[in-house]
Amino acid sequence: MEPVGNIGRVYSAVQKAKTGASGFITNFFPVQRKLQGWIDYGDLFCESDESAALFFRKDRDFRHFYFCAANAVALQERMAASVVLKKERVMTDLVGNEAALSDLLTLLKTVGFRQYTRLCRMARTAPIEMQQQSSSDSQIVYATQADCRAILDLLERSFNRYAEQLPMLYELEAAVAGRQILVAKHGNAIAGLLFFETQGFTSTTRYWLVDEQFRSFRFGSALMRRYFETQSAVRRFILWVIADNENAIQKYHHYGFAPDGLVDCVLANRMIPV
Amino acid sequence: MKSLADILKEIRPEFDFTASSDFITDGMLDSFDVVTLVATLDKTYGISIDGMDIVPGNFKNLQTIETLLSKYKSPK
Repeated sequence: MEPVGNIGRVYSAVQKAKTGASGFITNFFPVQRKLQGWIDYGDLFCESDESAALFFRKDRDFRHFYFCAANAVALQERMAASVVLKKERVMTDLVGNEAALSDLLTLLKTVGFRQYTRLCRMARTAPIEMQQQSSSDSQIVYATQADCRAILDLLERSFNRYAEQLPMLYELEAAVAGRQILVAKHGNAIAGLLFFETQGFTSTTRYWLVDEQFRSFRFGSALMRRYFETQSAVRRFILWVIADNENAIQKYHHYGFAPDGLVDCVLANRMIPV
Repeated sequence: MKSLADILKEIRPEFDFTASSDFITDGMLDSFDVVTLVATLDKTYGISIDGMDIVPGNFKNLQTIETLLSKYKSPK
C-alpha cells in the first residue's frame, strides 16, 4: 500500500474505476480541502487496480476505509486481496437511505465487517426563533489556537473515536482559523463547545457538547443560540447523531431538528474490539 | 413531465435553485443530494447517467445539468 502523494493520484484511481463501470459503487465523497489536508499530512493511502480503488485514512489507532469500484464483484475481489483489511483496525461508513444500503452491507459483511453503530441525519429548515439570552451567553467566544489541545482532549473524552469521525489536531487548527468552533469558557477551562462547518446556505453541526462538570451552567443552550445568531444566512442546518442516543435526539428536537431519512451505517472489521 | 427545477425543488424545497449559479458552493446540493438527483433524473427521463459523468461540475447549476441531460436525451 502506498501513501497518496498528490490529489491527481486520487482522481486518477477513481476515474479508472468509473471507466466502463456497469454498477459504480462508492462511499468516497471527499471535500477537496479535507482531502488535501490528509495528503499533506501523509494520512491517506491507496490500493487500486483497473476496476477498484481502496483508500485508507490514518486516524489515531485505526484507519477509515473508502472505496470506489466498477461494480460489486470488482469491490469484493479487491477487498479480499487487501492485507490492510485483514491485519489492521479498520472502520468504514455506508451512507444513504436504509433500503438502498442493504446489498452493500451484505457485501461488506462477507469480508469480515460487522455493524458497529448507526447514525441518523437530522435537519432543520424552519426559520430560527431566537430564545431569550442568559448570563452564560457572554462566556461564548470563538476558539483560539491556544484552545486546540484542550478542545481535542474534550472531544476524545466525550465521543467514540471509532464511530464519530473525530478531527485530527491539524484539522482542529484549520477549523479554529476558519472560525468554526465556538467555546464556552469558565475561567481558563473549556466548559463546552460547538464545532460547525458552513457551506453556503447549509451548516453542519459537527460536535456540540458541554463537559460533565459544567452541565448545570446552561452553556449548551448558550452555544446553540450563539451558533444560530452567527449563521443568519443559513437556510438548512444538519447534523449526525448516534441513532439510539435518545437524550441527544431529544435535545435536537427541541431546537427544531428532525430525522431526514439518511442513515450512516458504521462498520468495524474483526480487528476492532467489540 | 416534471421540469428540472421541479425535481430539484422536491429534493431541497428550502432553496431557490433559479437564483444560484453554483449549487455546490452555495451549499444547496451535497454529495448525497447528487446521488438522489441522478436516480430521479434516470427515472424521470428514462436514461442512465454514466458514473464518469457524476462529477460536481455537471451539477453546478441548471444550465450544466441541462447540458448533461441533453447528452443522454439526444438521439444517438
